[in-house]
Amino acid sequence: MTKAYPFEPEEAPPEYRGIPRIDPVLCIGCGACANACPPNAILRIDDPENGTRRIVLDVGRCIRCARCEEVCPTGAVRLTAEFEAATDDRNDHVEIVELRLARCRGCGKYTCYTERQVEKVLSLIPRGILDFDRVREKLPLCSECKLKLTVLNATKFGEVEP
Amino acid sequence: MIEEFEARFGPILEKRTLGEKKALYTIMARPEDFQNMVRSLLAGQNVRLFTMVGTDERAVEDAFSITYWFADTSKGELLGVRLYVPEDKPVFPSVAQFHRGALWFEREVQDLLGVEAEGLPDRRRLILPDDWPEGVYPLREDFKYSESPPGEKRYPYARPPEGTSVHAIGPYHIALDEPAHFRLFVRGEEIVGVDYRGFYSHRGIEKLARGRLNYNQVCFIAERICGICGFCHSTAYAQAIEEAAGIEVPERAEYIRTLLLELERLHSHLLWVGVAAHLVGFDTAFMEVWRIRERVMWLAERLTGNRKTYGLVVVGGVRRDLLDYRRELVERELDVMRREFNDVVEFLLSSGGFVKRCEGVGVLSKEKARAWDACGPVARASGVDYDVRRDFPYAAYRDLSFEVPVETEGDVLARATVRIEEVRQSISLIEQILDAMPGGGILADFGDIPEGAEGISAVEAPRGENVHYILAGDRNTIYRWRVKAATYNNLQTVPDMLVGYTIADAPLIIASIDPCYSCTERVQVVDIESGKSKVVRLGVGICR
Ligand code: SF4
Ligand code: SF4
Repeated sequence: MTKAYPFEPEEAPPEYRGIPRIDPVLCIGCGACANACPPNAILRIDDPENGTRRIVLDVGRCIRCARCEEVCPTGAVRLTAEFEAATDDRNDHVEIVELRLARCRGCGKYTCYTERQVEKVLSLIPRGILDFDRVREKLPLCSECKLKLTVLNATKFGEVEP
Repeated sequence: MIEEFEARFGPILEKRTLGEKKALYTIMARPEDFQNMVRSLLAGQNVRLFTMVGTDERAVEDAFSITYWFADTSKGELLGVRLYVPEDKPVFPSVAQFHRGALWFEREVQDLLGVEAEGLPDRRRLILPDDWPEGVYPLREDFKYSESPPGEKRYPYARPPEGTSVHAIGPYHIALDEPAHFRLFVRGEEIVGVDYRGFYSHRGIEKLARGRLNYNQVCFIAERICGICGFCHSTAYAQAIEEAAGIEVPERAEYIRTLLLELERLHSHLLWVGVAAHLVGFDTAFMEVWRIRERVMWLAERLTGNRKTYGLVVVGGVRRDLLDYRRELVERELDVMRREFNDVVEFLLSSGGFVKRCEGVGVLSKEKARAWDACGPVARASGVDYDVRRDFPYAAYRDLSFEVPVETEGDVLARATVRIEEVRQSISLIEQILDAMPGGGILADFGDIPEGAEGISAVEAPRGENVHYILAGDRNTIYRWRVKAATYNNLQTVPDMLVGYTIADAPLIIASIDPCYSCTERVQVVDIESGKSKVVRLGVGICR
């Protein structure tokens, strides 16, 4: 019964939900995981001045529920079979993915979505069904510019109507 | 119960919600005969106070609401009596004056909501920390969940009776698994009185659900209420939501839930038997029992992905299926477990030391068990024949056959016997579940949760009933979530169990209810409303 652990490795079974890890290459910074996480172990922190978004995962707060894994649209966050989280520095528990925010095409300010999110959305649109270039033009707009554009389009429309 | 109540008081009341065997009555203006209603309900042979919920309904009703829920265990009926208490005079007549089981409920509602029970025998603080300021009530809507106001530290402990000295167990003590503070008033070695102060592990979960979580996140936080019966809490919570929103859970999911609920009972009872053996100094048995317990944890890991059956229940079903290979694992382990458990029980009960330390110690009479609304193995060991699984069937228990062991001595040994027999019943239940496992999906499809819908549900946890009540808010949030854990009532019986025995028996008696302090202690509070009447007087305590 007694094992020489920790000198002899102990393996978790395949069903085990261990420490979550975010793949920084796959993550698009959408923040879906942060919305789903019950104990707020994942935070989405924006810095609109410098144009960065950080997805901050604190393994010390995580309850290993795997809700993040379920909602992630790119499969970037996955629960591993690791379970050893002991450390004498709380900072070791924190994992950060930093991404660039997209700049608005209109005013040049940073928007509230990342460059990768824009790429992802564009890659999802089936060519030929929608007017792709119109979408492309509208996409990296901040909410203010988007509002202006909508109002502008509406007035144009109004001119044609009568 | 409902019929008699309706015949007597029905015409003067407004009836609100109706399930087939559930009714809720509201009293709009506060009639003086509220106490009579409660009295006449509690006079029933099998009626118990199920839970009590205080809600800040000022946004909708211009008042606080206090709801007492009663359960008729022989008919499977639930009845709620709701009282609206006006904001400018938040006072209602105390039930604890004549029914002791209501004591903590009323002290709690006074702490958290600032609604006072007139005539309450013990007005001291129950839940709020000693340094919480006066007149700040955390469960009110205008108090933010993230606030933590400073105050002055003080707590009025009960005065020890003449000629006794105080022997403190806790807040931190080698015989306690969590912080709790028992003040034993002793004459020599003999305990003559007890004062209890707890709620050191209160984490404000009910407020958190109101402040930050959506209804689906709550499942995962609910199971953190307890480190042992977490699955029971998340199931009870999910069932309450399912009832409120009318969600039909697939049969297969019900069976999987039941399987894990029983696995949890196995784990909890094995843990307890081990601790009991350890407390009487019989460590060989302790190690042996915990070796079997390890099998349960290993099985839980394969079934749920966590050694403690966490993260499986969601509203509408479960998240993992019982695949064939998992089923084989369960069958294999059960076989071994049954054999090993029988051996270890024989070994344990053949030890004169163990039996002598438990026999005739910490006796709780049936009357006292009923007066405090004790539940689970504690009540059953005192002759109260009540089990939620049988009397208010949920999940798959309707289709399964099992016995509810009842003893009459009410001592520590009876509590041990009940638990040992329940382990055997659990093993048989799991086998029946495997045999009868239906096919189909494991997660229901459903829409929004209607605002204002209410649900109440109980689950028989290893320690007794866990009652969860929910009132749905707008946009899929929860307006009020009330958790009553089994230990909440069982803990109140401990002072009665301790009196008359010696200090040496105290750790075993306290452990004999299998106390779970975290379960009992869930909420926290405040808003800085000055000018509120301050009512903290020196109470008499729960000792005599
Ligand atoms: S596993 Fe659960 S608690 Fe942990 S980061 Fe993911 S969502 Fe949050
Ligand atoms: S959900 Fe996935 S892609 Fe989105 S922020 Fe989280 S890890 Fe990144």
